[in-house]
Amino acid sequence: MNTRRILILAGRVMRQVLRDRRTVALIVFAPIIILTLGAILFRSEPPVVSIGVVNEDQGITSPLAGSVNLGQRIVDELATGDSLRLVTLNPEEVDASLQDGNVKAVIVFPEDFTTSFITNHQVTLDLRLEGSEPTRSMSITVYTTQAAMKTLAGLAGTGFSIPGSSPPAQGEPVLPVSVQATYLYGGEEFDTMDYIAPVYIALLGMFFVFLLACVAFLRERSQGTMERLTATPASRFEIVLGYMLGLGLFGLIQVAVILFFTVWVIGIHYHGSLALILLIVAIMAVVGVNLGILASAFARNEFQVIQFIPLVLFPQVLLGGTFWAVSDLPNYLQPLAYAMPIYYANVALRDVMLKGWGLAEIWPNVAILTGIGIALVILSGLMMRREVA
Amino acid sequence: MTSDTVLETIALQKHFGKIHAVDGVDLSIKSGEIYGLIGPNGSGKTTLIRLCLGLLIPTNGTIRLLGKSIPDKAILSKVGYMTQASALYEELTVRENVAFFAEMCGSHESAWIDEAVALVDLQDRASSLVRTLSGGMRQRTSLACSLAHRPRLLLLDEPTVGIDPQLRATFWSYFRSLSDTGVTLIISSHVMDEAERCNRLGFMREGKVLAEGSPVELRKRKGTNTLEEAFLKFAEDGDEGGPR
Repeated sequence: MNTRRILILAGRVMRQVLRDRRTVALIVFAPIIILTLGAILFRSEPPVVSIGVVNEDQGITSPLAGSVNLGQRIVDELATGDSLRLVTLNPEEVDASLQDGNVKAVIVFPEDFTTSFITNHQVTLDLRLEGSEPTRSMSITVYTTQAAMKTLAGLAGTGFSIPGSSPPAQGEPVLPVSVQATYLYGGEEFDTMDYIAPVYIALLGMFFVFLLACVAFLRERSQGTMERLTATPASRFEIVLGYMLGLGLFGLIQVAVILFFTVWVIGIHYHGSLALILLIVAIMAVVGVNLGILASAFARNEFQVIQFIPLVLFPQVLLGGTFWAVSDLPNYLQPLAYAMPIYYANVALRDVMLKGWGLAEIWPNVAILTGIGIALVILSGLMMRREVA
Repeated sequence: MTSDTVLETIALQKHFGKIHAVDGVDLSIKSGEIYGLIGPNGSGKTTLIRLCLGLLIPTNGTIRLLGKSIPDKAILSKVGYMTQASALYEELTVRENVAFFAEMCGSHESAWIDEAVALVDLQDRASSLVRTLSGGMRQRTSLACSLAHRPRLLLLDEPTVGIDPQLRATFWSYFRSLSDTGVTLIISSHVMDEAERCNRLGFMREGKVLAEGSPVELRKRKGTNTLEEAFLKFAEDGDEGGPR
């Protein structure tokens, strides 16, 4: 073992990396950008969620404790926090409000809500969830359950008791609050994977062809064939479109594999048309190819391509509406989110897979995604240097 | 520009910052000539070729190729270009490489592709993947790629660099047979014994054409026995010191 030789080799490696300024910049700035983004998102204030309230509870009047309306007390408790904005609704407005997206959930207190508690010593919350965002559905369920528990705890010691009411039966302890959740979209059978599947599929559909295109185009430049190709009558756009078609085929094969596997092997639940899902992911694959060609213009070697991966992947995952709804992001990050192709694929896929919507409803997002694909073709063509290295 | 002029450049310049890679080059190359761009590495030969193909934008000056002002993408279907590196697709076979570049130039003649492969004596390896070929075979494949669409003008950038003397001689026999069919060849080289085989030469140094003429004329003008000596004298004098 010759230490001197090891040091000489290490010195050469360092010199090489230092001479590659783009790599040095990526080493320093890529983690900073990703960490900053993560910190902003994880530390941002939880968004205020609108939930509808239908309170038909008639309450009850006791000679000792006076009049009590448990439904109203739970509503008052819910109103004390900053996380929820309560909207009073009539029973007939419930479905329309959920469909419009004005409220993310509606809690319904029936006429006999209080008396049923007196009789059974238990309340059942009738919670109707919009359901397309699992994390939000979960937090609304937790908020309302906590508010109900707190309200019931507040009743203890008020001397509130009802003649003739019977204590709960001995045996299994029964929680005083249970939730009867119904979903406008999705449902109890939908697990986290079902909700993440749309973005998962879109991201995979884009990512591998992105890498393939980026490396293939880079190789075309480094092995000199690009120079030869540009010395033929082929225009830059013909070259980009040729690549798009050639690699797009493999993108489509991959998309078919991804869909086959997620639907029939992993067994995700979905509504809507499989053909429409295929169309959206296929457009995403085309976007991936063009993004790869575009990125290759900024890379001088495969090493730099590899470093583009986190820069391309993380912002898409963090900002594309996967875990945080774009409307919940800080205002200054929202334009960035709307610049992410994955956002449109994600929304369109969720609309199809969770809501069962058709092309008539989702076409704006499909059109924007297609527009991004076309814009990327043009940009890639323009970025292909006329003065080939 | 006369009707049989294939390539004409007037006061052509290409600057990369402070470097004047091509510095006021006037060329006029006739149909059927084998024209040698001769000069040391870094003298501007490759830049001049790339300018002529429209791969670089000139800083100043004009280029006319087969009667068209450059850049003109369409005219490139009549031009063949062999790059300095072999520039081939390793995962494709010899014939697939040749056919691809011919088709990109608009030629779909299967017989022409076979002829090009035969011209470089690679019929037996036509179905071999390029990655399995030796360096010399790659160079021959590269040459076939540049001529399968039957161009009127061939621009060959150091086509014989790095190949053995026997193959070099073979290459020159290819060039001669192409020239006999009326193809114009512009060949860059820094090897003087290759210069002897050209009809006409342009000696290049520091982006300028120092002298132009046939090998005999150039030797005679400086009274030397070899082209190498003539080149050195032209370089010493800074210009050709006589009529071009």
